[in-house]
Amino acid sequence: MRKKTFAVAALLAAATLTLSACGSGDSGSSPVAVVSEDGKQQAATVLDQPFPKPDLVLTDTQGKSYDLRKETAGHPTLIYFGYTNCPDVCPLTMNNIAVAKKQLTQAEQDELRVVFVTTDPDRDTPAALGKWLKGIDPQVVGLTGKFATIQAAARTLGISVEAPHKDKNGKIVSTHGTQVVAFSPKTDGGYLLYGEDADVDDYTKDLPKILKGANP
Amino acid sequence: MRRVTPAGPVRLLAVPTAVITGAVLLLTGCGSDSDGRAELSVRAAYIPQPVSDTMAAGFLTIVNKGGTKDELTSVTSTAAGSVTLHETVGSSMEEVTSLDVPAHGQLVFKSGGNHLMFEKLKSKPVQGGTVTVELHFAASDPVEVEMPVESATYNPKTGH
Repeated sequence: MRKKTFAVAALLAAATLTLSACGSGDSGSSPVAVVSEDGKQQAATVLDQPFPKPDLVLTDTQGKSYDLRKETAGHPTLIYFGYTNCPDVCPLTMNNIAVAKKQLTQAEQDELRVVFVTTDPDRDTPAALGKWLKGIDPQVVGLTGKFATIQAAARTLGISVEAPHKDKNGKIVSTHGTQVVAFSPKTDGGYLLYGEDADVDDYTKDLPKILKGANP
Repeated sequence: MRRVTPAGPVRLLAVPTAVITGAVLLLTGCGSDSDGRAELSVRAAYIPQPVSDTMAAGFLTIVNKGGTKDELTSVTSTAAGSVTLHETVGSSMEEVTSLDVPAHGQLVFKSGGNHLMFEKLKSKPVQGGTVTVELHFAASDPVEVEMPVESATYNPKTGH
């Protein structure tokens, strides 16, 4: 029975696709989404085994040493690994979080720690990070340091990032993490994962829960 | 993770025939008697307002109603020093020199997938504005597109 209904959904999706392929320029929503919208599921993946917070000391946008465990202990914390020369996913992820955060009370916003760790430390100096994050949310903590240190910390959260390298045209290719990890203020454990398709609405809905260390 | 889930499970069993009919009807309505040429149109174009002053991503869908494939070979814009085509591979992006627009299919640029990368922008695109680009193809004539600048968090699935 389940299989059959899924096939129906696929047919529906295919039919809508065909339909929109005929339509002209109206910048309507992507048709496949109509189907997923109906059964919109939880954006967060709840981990049975939370990740310990990485033992990470890096440099913040002021050029000061920042001890992640010390600074974020007992605070609801979101961590993302990305880089500022990234036009698509990195700014979208950070803006999604920033816009959702603004819907909290000021006290809640002050309680929350949003940490952006660069995966491109050579280009993302404290100043470059600071400038970029100011355009998103000045409360976000931007961290830079040795790539090997950053990569090792990311790995403890199941996030794999590669060192920036040059492509055949000499352009620098960097990688970003594909997940945002949310840490509970109660346990300091990383208990929720958000993928790239988590949008403002998802974070808006979930942040009040994360503030309490609750499951969304 | 999110999954595509059918909405009302059991009762939908009678639907497929109706759906197929509807789709086929509309297909014929489109007139698909192309004589071996690509027929291109563009939809769902947008640029999320960037954080950076000089760099932005752009997204659009190129629909090909024709029976022959074409290739997007370059994108130009007077608003930017360079516009390049990128594919996202894993969690890094790779510049590509061309992308196929399949026959009776579409080339989709979307967040997390293919994107246009604007560099050396002359001014920062601001929500409510537009950026004009010209798409160049291997066979078809160039297509000019006015890409609206949306909010930094715009999600085409929800339209906001």
